[in-house]
Amino acid sequence: MTPQEAALAVCAVIAVYAAIRVALEPDTLRKLPFLNVLSFAVAGSIALLIPHPLSIVAAAAYFVGSTLESNAIASTYAGGLDRRE
Amino acid sequence: MQEGWIAVNNIALMAFGALAIIGALLTIVERDPFRKLISLGILVGGSVPFIVDRGLLDVAIAVALIAPLSTIFILMVCGRGDQ
Amino acid sequence: MDSILPAFARILVAAAVCWLNFILIDLFFRLPAGGGVVGATAIGTHIERGGGAIHGGYMMGNIVSSPDASAGTLLASCGVYIAGIPGGLLATFLVFIGNRICHDRGYAGTTGAITATFIVWGFSQIGFSPAEFIAGMVIAILTIQGISHRHSSRLLAYLWKVREG
Repeated sequence: MTPQEAALAVCAVIAVYAAIRVALEPDTLRKLPFLNVLSFAVAGSIALLIPHPLSIVAAAAYFVGSTLESNAIASTYAGGLDRRE
Repeated sequence: MQEGWIAVNNIALMAFGALAIIGALLTIVERDPFRKLISLGILVGGSVPFIVDRGLLDVAIAVALIAPLSTIFILMVCGRGDQ
Repeated sequence: MDSILPAFARILVAAAVCWLNFILIDLFFRLPAGGGVVGATAIGTHIERGGGAIHGGYMMGNIVSSPDASAGTLLASCGVYIAGIPGGLLATFLVFIGNRICHDRGYAGTTGAITATFIVWGFSQIGFSPAEFIAGMVIAILTIQGISHRHSSRLLAYLWKVREG
């Protein structure tokens, strides 16, 4: 087992674990840290699957995109709560 | 060694397929729009590694940037309907 | 080829190194002091409502809603794994752009990426593989964000209290 295979296996297992924790979490905003773990694992495995210079850009684009999505969801959810209260 | 690499690669890709299925089922089950959007994030996270595994890195970059943007557009509608 | 056990043992060592790198840099740039955006503050208060500590919750919210030193460590490990030190510096530049997109000043992410580039490159000279640092960073973020929000936020709040003096 090369280091690359071991690292990819670890990333894949942690991604599935994070997805299950997202599914089981009752509080909406506390789902987002688990989603963050999932995007770390997916961004790492993008770079591990294909060692090509463009996959650095792909991993960074996926990670920044998912961070922006979490940021927007959290801000809109919090703003909605403030307007309701 | 080549055999072992293929086997592990299949295990990792099976994990990402499970991720896409979990995301899709969760999107169907959830009622709150915010929870639906979080589940869509899981679905996108499961499907991007398949695009990367076929070597289509430019498509992967485009998908990884377009999917959050579409989520943000949907969020504008959610925020307005929430009041 | 090495056997399985040393590979996973080296991944655990890499996880400890990545954990120290991103926690120290995040504490140095005062991430637990308060939420940087509205969403980070909301995540912090929700974690406190679930039994955690408020400053640890702010730091976890900041990690979620902007690429900080943990993202810098991950992307710099990817860059060093693919292209050596130039790849790590390219990843640093991309983290800086990502910080700008997320309305953050971006010093924590950029500093974390630069230090992680040289740390990972140094460890790759003594027998570690940068791929092990990618898996190690995923394990490190799992221990903070993915196991138990209550306990990890209390640990972060304790570390913040120590840093404040």
